[in-house]
Amino acid sequence: MSRQSLAPQLEFLLQEIEGIRIRRKGPRRVRVDLAAETLPALLELLKGRAGYVHLSAITCVDWMEQEEFELVYHLWSYETRVLVMAHIRLPRDPGVYLSVYDLFKPAAFFERDIHEMFGLYFEGSPDMGKFILTEWEGPPPMRKDFDGEAWVMDHFNWQAYHPDWLKEIEAQGGGITTRPEDVRR
Amino acid sequence: MSDLKQIPIHAEGDAGGDPKSEGLFTRVFDELKAFCRSRSLFMLHYCTGCGAIELPPAMTSRFDMERLGIQPMVTPRQADILLVTGYVSIKTLKRIILTYEQMGGPKYVIGICSCTVNGGMYWQSYATAKVLNEYLPVDLYIAGCMPRPEAVITGMRQLMENIRTGKADNWKDYYRRYDHYLGNQQQLFGERWQTPTDVIGEADHYGLAGPETTGPHTALLQQHQVPLQPLEMRLGSRQERKP
Ligand code: SF4
Repeated sequence: MSRQSLAPQLEFLLQEIEGIRIRRKGPRRVRVDLAAETLPALLELLKGRAGYVHLSAITCVDWMEQEEFELVYHLWSYETRVLVMAHIRLPRDPGVYLSVYDLFKPAAFFERDIHEMFGLYFEGSPDMGKFILTEWEGPPPMRKDFDGEAWVMDHFNWQAYHPDWLKEIEAQGGGITTRPEDVRR
Repeated sequence: MSDLKQIPIHAEGDAGGDPKSEGLFTRVFDELKAFCRSRSLFMLHYCTGCGAIELPPAMTSRFDMERLGIQPMVTPRQADILLVTGYVSIKTLKRIILTYEQMGGPKYVIGICSCTVNGGMYWQSYATAKVLNEYLPVDLYIAGCMPRPEAVITGMRQLMENIRTGKADNWKDYYRRYDHYLGNQQQLFGERWQTPTDVIGEADHYGLAGPETTGPHTALLQQHQVPLQPLEMRLGSRQERKP
């Protein structure tokens, strides 16, 4: 099968799923929006029938105002060379979703990472233990409601750093003279 | 290090014409010793952040640190200088403190990069420790993001000068005010924080234990301190390890 004939076939395949919205973002990029329940079906279809064997990443976006998490599954096919980005939305609370580990093994790491950074739990994922933030006890730091700056102000000090050469520069109107909290007003 | 006892303990003004030095010979000898010490610096080859990128050019042919008598060394026990090259995540800071405590005195800490001064561009990061000298006595900061090799060399030369004139003795501060440093460490790592090193014992050994060596924080440490145990190591297939 030539490359040209595969891409239309992909679109034909995608039509098989209900409630799906397909947008071509470019000659080699397809954005797919669908309901969270149908995502496993889509992945299965793509993997089984269109050669999408590579899940290159899962991205999480926290839409705090809408109380939703967005998950983006980036899939790559070495045959059609078209990137498929499958977007789903989930309620932020309780923040639970299904693992796709049985379809794509690398998902284990992406899901573990998202669990750690956003607190989103993946059912059926092999390990939801600590991954990178092994010594972190606070809330999931990538959530929008985690105020990193307040946490920093709470836990750390600022040191006055005024070597002589800096004083000379400041006398001429340069140098660092403002503390971060003044800048952020 | 069989002759640890011979490391000079007369704390202040180790060199540099202290009027209280007993006689000319001692003074000349101390000065010679300080000079030699300043010209043979082993720096620990442990790079912590992105500022470490400036060290290869500083070490290799263009700037060639070795002509100043500075060489990288792989183990903390052989090293004199601990370079903290850039941002220090809290996770790394624990390792840095472990490393620092293993180095034999006299030892020097250089904080390279703005990140070691005040967190640099990681000020808002929850994971980056900001002020390095709250946790370790820093002898010298080389600011910049990142500092050029020229700046690194200049900083090194300044440190050599400080060692020669006996000004670089912040390492003694770690023993004298251990309680202060430990307190800051505990604030960050939790009160169960402990290292395998017996710092108070070492402070006694160097004759540097003072009123601030022990205090409420070291008392807390003693409460929690558990004897160190070797890590458990098991061999087995992946399946077996799964709960
Ligand atoms: S000061 Fe700049 S170069 Fe240095 S560690 Fe920080 S970010 Fe990196």
